Amino acid sequence: MVSKKATIINKEGFHMRAADDFVNEMAKFKSSITISSTDKTANGKSIMRLMAAAYKRGTEVEIKCEGEDEEAQLAKACEMIASGFGET
Amino acid sequence: MLRGIAASKGIGIGRAVIIEQQKITYETGPVKDVEQEKARLHRAINDFVSDTEDLAKELEQALHAKDTAIIRGHITMLSDPFMIEEMDELITGGQPAEAAVESVLDMFKGLFQSSEDELTRQRATDVEDIKRNLLEILLGIEQIDLKHLPENTILVISDLTPSMTAEMDHDNVIGIVTESGGMTSHSAILARALEIPAVLSVPDALSKLKGGQEIIVDGVNGAVIADPDPETAAEYQSRRDDAIREKELLRVFQGKATVTGDGTPRQVFCNIGTPKDAESAVEHDCEGIGLFRTELLFMDRDSRPDEETQYEAYRQVCETLQGKPVIIRTLDVGGDKDIPYIHVGEEENPFLGYRAVRYCLRNQDAYKMQLRALIRAGADTNEHLRIMIPMVTTATEIQTVRALAEEICCETDLMMPMIGTMIETPAASIMADVLAKYCDFFSIGTNDLTQYIMAADRGNSSVAYLYKAYDPAVLRALRGIITAGVNAGIPVGMCGEAASDPLLIPLLIGFGLEEFSVSPASVLKTRREISRWTMAEAKKIADHALTLETADEVETYLTEIGKR
Repeated sequence: MVSKKATIINKEGFHMRAADDFVNEMAKFKSSITISSTDKTANGKSIMRLMAAAYKRGTEVEIKCEGEDEEAQLAKACEMIASGFGET
Repeated sequence: MLRGIAASKGIGIGRAVIIEQQKITYETGPVKDVEQEKARLHRAINDFVSDTEDLAKELEQALHAKDTAIIRGHITMLSDPFMIEEMDELITGGQPAEAAVESVLDMFKGLFQSSEDELTRQRATDVEDIKRNLLEILLGIEQIDLKHLPENTILVISDLTPSMTAEMDHDNVIGIVTESGGMTSHSAILARALEIPAVLSVPDALSKLKGGQEIIVDGVNGAVIADPDPETAAEYQSRRDDAIREKELLRVFQGKATVTGDGTPRQVFCNIGTPKDAESAVEHDCEGIGLFRTELLFMDRDSRPDEETQYEAYRQVCETLQGKPVIIRTLDVGGDKDIPYIHVGEEENPFLGYRAVRYCLRNQDAYKMQLRALIRAGADTNEHLRIMIPMVTTATEIQTVRALAEEICCETDLMMPMIGTMIETPAASIMADVLAKYCDFFSIGTNDLTQYIMAADRGNSSVAYLYKAYDPAVLRALRGIITAGVNAGIPVGMCGEAASDPLLIPLLIGFGLEEFSVSPASVLKTRREISRWTMAEAKKIADHALTLETADEVETYLTEIGKR
């Protein structure tokens, strides 16, 4: 299992479009992934769970990946979040 | 008359079509063949996905891809493999597909509804919409046919879901009335995008209105009038005709460069107060930002915004207007605004007092922070950023600000943006030719300039009659300022109300004004007004106007001219 912390930086956080792009990318990896804040956890491959969690800009989240390609998945997830899901 | 939320402006006059949604019921008994039931669910999901794909494609022909993203979002949501897994599990437990769908989607709807985030709460409507559609597919219920509606239909329905709005006959539906929904609901967004007048959240609309009734939907004021009397109907008809005519006239100017009657290029910019306004400015087809008032960033706070907060706001505007001029005015506050951390002290005459650039130059650390945030934003996103200094009265002030900016550019090794000034004080107006030597541009603030020149407070009802931009004193000042700028070869703009006054526009063109900065809603009108006059005509008008002796004579003359 590998994990890393990151801060959500784009204006609307994990809104529909961002979550859509994110889960489409994460689906390419075999490992499982969760995105957690201090009080919630969401399955990083489920758009509905990500939207329900509604992590907003400024929230610090912990990204945990587990599985055979966990390192690559973690790197990709962090890259997407750090780039504001391509919005900045 | 019924009242609701004015969600999409315009006036619709037509006949009501009441849409009652059929109640959905289904068998809840235990399912015998679990695998078959799961297959039934998955087939229904696939049908939903392909129907929605088709709908999205049709909609894309009529609208921006941005607006159809809502519909496409529904596909992604229902295709969530983990959510489908949850439904499958309930089916494995013996529940029919309908119960599984309702259970899981209601659960998500509840989660979205209880979120602190407003955008997420709005998504609850999407979940309900998806649920309903999926259940109708599973149960083989005829979905309401909104495609074949009579001409001039006013749709009356309990809740207009995004998929309904997308599906309905856009040509024949000319008004929408619903019992729920708000300004930021999807239906409101789509109604606005389709330009169909809509009044939402009208309590008991379904029981109060009848099918076939004549209805006026006033999407501007949030009113719904059933069976209007002939006078009311005529009044609304005429308002509607005017609005349509005006829109057609203006449409011609959308996407076009601003030019005078003889093709001389001019610019129409926008005045804004927040980064969000910049988006509206672009939607209204501006050619740049003529004034971004930075005060709002500093107000309603206990402490000064730090450099990053400021940078972010400036960067956003610069980016939204990438490639176009963005003029940002440094802090313009004084004793009249109650900002706790800005200590101005008690003043008898705040408008003649310690404010704007005077205050900033005495608080240079804070001012340098603002300048640095501006310079960085320009360097990062927009080389056409211009920094504008408010309330300048002397050349020294400009030289000092320039020196501070140069210091910062040296320290950061960033490009120096254009630096210019508001001309809004009598001193600046009189000395415009000298100030032009130290400025890269001027922008005339006619609101304050008129007050100072006429020595009259526009808010004082006893003397407000004197506050007129038409006064020859003000016009002489404007001519002098614009001439000074033109002679120095620097761009001259105007950001006060006078810039959008149709009566003054020929005059301003005649003086040589290049940049007209107006509210977003006035962009197209201003562009149209500018196109009416050739440079030669405008010059003649300006020359004649300046021979007149009183504001009334000027106004009368310009009104006559305007009728041509």
